[in-house]
Amino acid sequence: MYVYDMTKRSMQEPTFLILTALAAGPQHGYGIITDAERISGGVTRLQTGTLYMALDRLRSARLVEPDREEVADGRLRRYYRLTDEGAALLAAETERRSASAAVAAQRLRARLAGGTA
Amino acid sequence: MPVRDPAGAAVLERRYRRLLRCYPPAHREFHREEMLGVLLAGARPGQRTPGLGQAVNLAACGLVIRVRRIPGWLAACGLVIRVRRIPGWLAADAGQDALAVVSLIAPAVVVILLALGRGAMDATAAARVPFWQLLPFPPSLGQFVVMMIAWLAVVLLGLTGRRGAAAVIAAISLTLAWLAVLTASVQQSGIGPGGLLLFPAADFDVFLASLAACSLALSPGPRRGLAIVGWRRACLMIAGLSAGFGFPAIVQLVHPAAPVGDLAFRLLGVLAIALAVAATRVRGPAGRRVAGLVAAGLLPSLAVTLPYPLYGGLAPLLVILLVVVLVWPVAIVSWLGRVRRASRAG
Repeated sequence: MYVYDMTKRSMQEPTFLILTALAAGPQHGYGIITDAERISGGVTRLQTGTLYMALDRLRSARLVEPDREEVADGRLRRYYRLTDEGAALLAAETERRSASAAVAAQRLRARLAGGTA
Repeated sequence: MPVRDPAGAAVLERRYRRLLRCYPPAHREFHREEMLGVLLAGARPGQRTPGLGQAVNLAACGLVIRVRRIPGWLAACGLVIRVRRIPGWLAADAGQDALAVVSLIAPAVVVILLALGRGAMDATAAARVPFWQLLPFPPSLGQFVVMMIAWLAVVLLGLTGRRGAAAVIAAISLTLAWLAVLTASVQQSGIGPGGLLLFPAADFDVFLASLAACSLALSPGPRRGLAIVGWRRACLMIAGLSAGFGFPAIVQLVHPAAPVGDLAFRLLGVLAIALAVAATRVRGPAGRRVAGLVAAGLLPSLAVTLPYPLYGGLAPLLVILLVVVLVWPVAIVSWLGRVRRASRAG
């Protein structure tokens, strides 16, 4: 099994969306895709291959784990949940993104003020 | 699930299952059913074929996961095992036959490439093409004549059964060619973007000359090669490989201002060699080995198609060195295998 150290890389958008979707509670694959689309304001729709590649990686890094399995319409549904490590990483990433967004907003305000002056 | 046509859904599911074969078995076992559920849940009503984007995404992700799951040490072991098989591959009788065929065709190809190279140089000089499009170290007419006589002698001595003498002349000529390449690389290493730009024009000769010298030294010789392929096939192979390896020179003979330094042109050169190797293949196990040996000449050509930051550095020279240096021990092991078999039989 390969080892993937998520904490040493910048988080990609699909990873952020998946972790955010799971932060509300356990979800199955299709639920994560629809929730991620909603979270991104319809901008990002995860492809199935991308989702399961990311889930595989996140599971290896112990950031998510299978929660339970159900059978719906004769087909297996596996639910995933966020681990404590995953929640901590998401919190750190959220903080980083918030700080970046705050700086961007501040500079844009300054630019606007300079332009109107 | 939006798919209401059961027959259509079954077709779609079968096609998705086929696409999921791109994933490694362990991943497929764990995720297959849930992935199928997600894929079918996202399908349009009446959809029978996976969308192009979805198909590409599944195939690409499957391949990425496969690659990620190969531990580095295992990949390295696989490479070592494959490399270790090469001497055995050549030490077999078919390997010796392959070297014999190479000893017949390679010297003749070297002679033709020398002539083509000289012709292309004269054509570009006459057309006043800028210097950077020419050879980095244009040899004098005297050097050209000496090399031509030497390699013509190699061909003739080989065909008349004097394999040892042919190998000695080829080895001396090869050493001189290597000294020229190394001298030029030292001289040019500090000069602007030109750097090693035009080594391909010379390195094809060096690679083939090395192949010719070691196959002459360590194989039953050109006469055995001729007995295997016959005159007609030998001439076809020589013509095809000369056209492939001499592609840039041939184009320059026709259009002296052709942009031989462009990436597209270099890729065309690689394609020409690949086609020549494929088209001139001899049937049977010896033929596959001949193609394998000659196809090693593609590696330096591929190296010079690298993007400029890599290409402008030492990459092509290192690849040429690696290929040429590897050819000799492989051929020596092949020869030792033959000697051992002969002593056992005796």
